[in-house]
Amino acid sequence: MDPHRRIQSQTSSTSTATPSKHAFETIVADVKSPKSDINALILDYLMMEGYPKAAEKFQKEANLKPKQEDPTINARQEIQHAIHIGNIQKAISDLNELDPGILDSDPHLHFSLLRLQLIELIRNARGYDPTAAINFAQEKLAPRAACNEQFLKELEKTMALLIFPPDKLQPDLAALLHSDLRRNTAAQVNEVVLQRHTERREAAIRQLVRMRAWAEASCRSKKRNLPDRIELGLNTGDDNGHEPMIMS
Amino acid sequence: MTNPNPFPRRTSLIASANNGSRPVRPAGFSHLLNPSPDNGGQGNGASSHAGAPFSSLDAGAAHSGNAPHGLGEGRGPHRTSGGNLPSFSRAFDMFTSKEPLLAGANMTYNGVGPSANVSKTGFLLPSYLRGSGYLEKLAEQHKAKLSADRDNFSSKGPSGTVFSGNTGNTESRSLTLPLKLTSGTHRGVALNLIERPPASAEFEDVVSPLPTRWNSDDKDYTVEVVGDGYEVKYTGTKLADHEAGAIRADNPMPAQCGVYYFEVMILNKKREENVIAIGFETRKASLARFPGWEGESWAYHGNDGKFFPGSNAGRSYGPTYGAGDTVGCLMNFRTNQVLFTKNGDELGIAFKDPIFKDTTRNFYPAVGLKRPGDHVWVNFGQVPFQFDIDGYMKKQQKLVTDKIRTTDTAMLAPPLNDTELIQQLVLQFLQHDGYVGTARAFAEEIHNEKQALNLDADVPVEGVSIKDDEDANNRQQIRRAILEGDIDQALLYTSQFYPKVLEENGQVYFRLRCRKFIEMIRREAEMNRSLQEAGVKAKSTSQARHYAENDTQRTYNQHTSGREDEMMTEGEEEMMDTAEDGTEDRSLGTVNPEDETMAMGAAGVSELCQDALEYGQELRDEFKNDPSPEVTKHLNEIFALMAYPNPLEVKEVAHLLERKGRVAVAEELNSAILTSLGKSSRAALENLYAQTTVLLDDLRKDGGDGAFVTIQGVIDEIPKAHMN
Repeated sequence: MDPHRRIQSQTSSTSTATPSKHAFETIVADVKSPKSDINALILDYLMMEGYPKAAEKFQKEANLKPKQEDPTINARQEIQHAIHIGNIQKAISDLNELDPGILDSDPHLHFSLLRLQLIELIRNARGYDPTAAINFAQEKLAPRAACNEQFLKELEKTMALLIFPPDKLQPDLAALLHSDLRRNTAAQVNEVVLQRHTERREAAIRQLVRMRAWAEASCRSKKRNLPDRIELGLNTGDDNGHEPMIMS
Repeated sequence: MTNPNPFPRRTSLIASANNGSRPVRPAGFSHLLNPSPDNGGQGNGASSHAGAPFSSLDAGAAHSGNAPHGLGEGRGPHRTSGGNLPSFSRAFDMFTSKEPLLAGANMTYNGVGPSANVSKTGFLLPSYLRGSGYLEKLAEQHKAKLSADRDNFSSKGPSGTVFSGNTGNTESRSLTLPLKLTSGTHRGVALNLIERPPASAEFEDVVSPLPTRWNSDDKDYTVEVVGDGYEVKYTGTKLADHEAGAIRADNPMPAQCGVYYFEVMILNKKREENVIAIGFETRKASLARFPGWEGESWAYHGNDGKFFPGSNAGRSYGPTYGAGDTVGCLMNFRTNQVLFTKNGDELGIAFKDPIFKDTTRNFYPAVGLKRPGDHVWVNFGQVPFQFDIDGYMKKQQKLVTDKIRTTDTAMLAPPLNDTELIQQLVLQFLQHDGYVGTARAFAEEIHNEKQALNLDADVPVEGVSIKDDEDANNRQQIRRAILEGDIDQALLYTSQFYPKVLEENGQVYFRLRCRKFIEMIRREAEMNRSLQEAGVKAKSTSQARHYAENDTQRTYNQHTSGREDEMMTEGEEEMMDTAEDGTEDRSLGTVNPEDETMAMGAAGVSELCQDALEYGQELRDEFKNDPSPEVTKHLNEIFALMAYPNPLEVKEVAHLLERKGRVAVAEELNSAILTSLGKSSRAALENLYAQTTVLLDDLRKDGGDGAFVTIQGVIDEIPKAHMN
C-alpha cells in the first residue's frame, strides 16, 4: 500500500473525470477491515463498557468467546446504572462490596462520588429544606476538602448551587446539574474498576476512534490531498442505504 | 577473503570482555537476556537450537571457507541472548504462526543461519520493528514472493490429478519443493528473495527492504566482505591520509521504520591501530574516502571520537572507540536526529537535519576502514543488539500514543460526542451485519441508560428503534448455517431468499462449493482421529450411539426452531483438541447425514471418503472450464487435502481446514447479499477502520508519527477471543 503516491498520482485525472469519488475513497474501498478485528472490537466494547445482555447475545450470534469471562461485568453495569439514576449511596456501597479497597486507593474517585451525592441531595432539596445537603457537605466533604485545594474549590462551587436560583445559574454551575456529570462519573468509576481488574482502562474501540481522528488531523496538517469530509457512512443518508436509526 | 582460523581469536576477545577490559554491562544485557518474564528458562533450548544449523553446515561441507564458524563464535555473547529473544512473543507470532511465510520446515532451506531474528525463509525481523506497520508490509511482500516462487515452480512441476490417488502425494509434495535451494548458494539466496524487486505488477505497493548485508558490489577495492556478508576487512596497503576504504549496505535505511538502528563490532586485534568510521551515506559519497568527510555522508570516527557531518571539520561528540567495542548508529526519522551508542550506552544526539526526511534520498549504513588489521562485524538486527533499542522504540511509540490519547473526536461526526459516536457505530454495525438479537439487546440497554439519565420526568425518552427487518433475519440465518459448517443449508437459504445473488456472484458461489468439500474432508479427518482416540479411550459404543442419535436428530431439528440458544453449545475448542464428545461433529452433521460417529468405525470413514471423492469430482467437472487461474489454484489446493491420511496434522495444509475459513466465506456471502440489496457492503465502523489504515500508511511514508502506531497494536490489547 502506498496511499501517498496513489493519492497524488490519481488526483490529476480524478479532478476532471470523476469528481464524485475522491482518490482517497477509492483507495479506502480496496483496504480490508477484517471481520475478526471488528468483532473483537465490538465484543470488547460491550464487555468493557458494561452492556452484559448485548455482550452475551453477541457471543452467541458471532460465535465468539472471550478469553476470560469478566466476573465484574454485571456488577459494573449495576453500579453505573445506580449512578445514572442518581442513587449514589447504592453505587458507593455496591462498589465497596465489589472491591473493598477501591475508594481508599483513589481519593479523587471517592471525592467525585461524594460530591455527586451532594449534588443529588441539593437537586432533591430544591424548594425544600436544604439541611440534609448541608449536613452531608459538612460531614463527608469538608474534611476531605480541607486537605486538598482542588477538592476545596469543587466543594465551594457545588455549595453555590444552594445560593443561586436554579434558573439563573452560570453555565459552569448549571453543568453540575446536567446529566452528563452522572454519565461521566459513572464512566470514571467503570474505568477505575476495569483498571484494577484487567489492567486496561478503556475499550479498544475508543482508541481506534481517536486514532482515526488524529490520523486525519495529522494528514490535513501535512496538506495531504484528502476529501473535504471523510464520511463514515453512519448517517441515515440516502447514499449508503443503511437502515434508519432513531436515537434520542 | 576467508579467515583461516578466527575461532581462537574471537574466543580471546570474549574472554577479555569477561575479565573487564571490554565493558560488559550486566544491566544493559539483562533486557536481552530476559526480555519478558514468560521466557525465562527458554534460553538453553533455544540457543542450542540456534546453533544447530552450523553443525549441519559442517556435516554437509556445503560451505567453502571457515568464516561462518568464526562468526558463530564471534557472536558468542549474542548467542546466549539470542536464545532468549522473545521468539515466543506475540509479535513474532505474526510471522511464525500464520502459515504461508513459514509453512513447514521442508519449504525452507535450513541453512539460513543461527540468526535469532531471521525466519526460516530468510526474513529479517529486528526485534524493535516487530509489530510495526512497516515490517507487516514487508512480511506481506515476502510472503507474496514466496508464494509466487512456489507457483512458478508448481506450474513447471509434475501435474496430475490428485484423484487418481497415486499421484496425490506427488502433487502435495510439489507444493513444498521449490524452496529447497540448491547447495552452494544457500545463505545469500534466501535473503535475496526480499532484495530483488518483485517481478509482478501485482505488488505495486512496495516498501523498501531492510539492509541485510554489506554489499560487495558497493565498496572500495581496499576492503573485502568476509564470510556471509556481515564482516568487512581492510585488505589494502597503507594509504595516504585522505584516503580510506568504505563499504555500504545492500539496502538503504527505510524511513517507514520511523527509527533505524544497526551496530558494528570492532574486531581489530590491537587497540591503537584502528581508524574506523561508522555512519551512513548516500551513493553520491566516494567509496575511496572516509565516511563523514565527504558530502552526503555522516559518520562517527573511532580514533578521535568526533562526528563528521559531511565535512572535514568534525565536532567533538563522544569517546574514542576501538578493538572490542560495539558502536551503534541510530537514525530517528521522526525527529530527523542521528545518535550513536557505544557498548550499549546512548551517546546523545550527534546531528539533526531535515534532509533525513527527504524520501528521494537513500541513506545506506556505511563503514570506512583505513589500516591493515581493521576488521568489523555488523549487526543489522539479525541478532539482538547491545543497546536497548526496543526500549528506545517504546519511548518513541509512547510519545505518539500520548498525542493520540488527547485527540478530540468531536470532528468525526458532529454533533455526536465520542460516547454517542461509538454507540452509533456499534449499533449500526450490529444491524448492518445482521446481528439481530445483539442489536436489539444493545438498543434496549442504551435506552435504559438514557432513561436512567433523564432528569425531567415530563420529557419522554425517545426510544432507540431497531428496524426489525426481514433481511437482517435472513442474513443472520445464512451466516449461522455457514458458521456451523452446514454449507448446503446456507446455499438453500440463499437461493430461497436471494435467488439472484449466487448467480451474479460466481466467486462467492465457488467459495461456498469449495467450503462444502473442505467440510467433508474435515469431517473425515476428525472421524479418523476420533477413531484413533477411541482406541485409546475405549469409549463405549452405546455412548457413541447416543451421540450419533442426538446428532442426527438435531440435524433435522435445528433449522426449524430453537436454534438461538443451541448455537453456543458448540465447542469453542480448537480443532486439535476436541472430539471428546459429539458436539464437535454436529457442526458437520448435515453435510453427511449418515453420520454414525465412531460406532461405524472404519467403514464409515471410507464412505465419507467416497462421498468427498465423488463430490470433488463433481466440483472439478463443474469448474473445469473456468478460465480463472485462481479457481484452478484453489481447486488444486483443496484437492491436495485428499492426499493426506490426516490433513489436520499436516501444518502445510491444516490451515485450509480451519474454522476461520467459515467466517471468511460467511462474510463474503453477506457482502454480496448486501450489495445486491443496494446497501453499502460495509458498516461505518468498517469504513472507519479502513480509513484509519490508509491515513496511517500515508503518515508512515516519511518515518513520521504514523510509523509508530498501528491499528493492530490497538486490536492486540484486546485479550484474544476464541473463535468457536
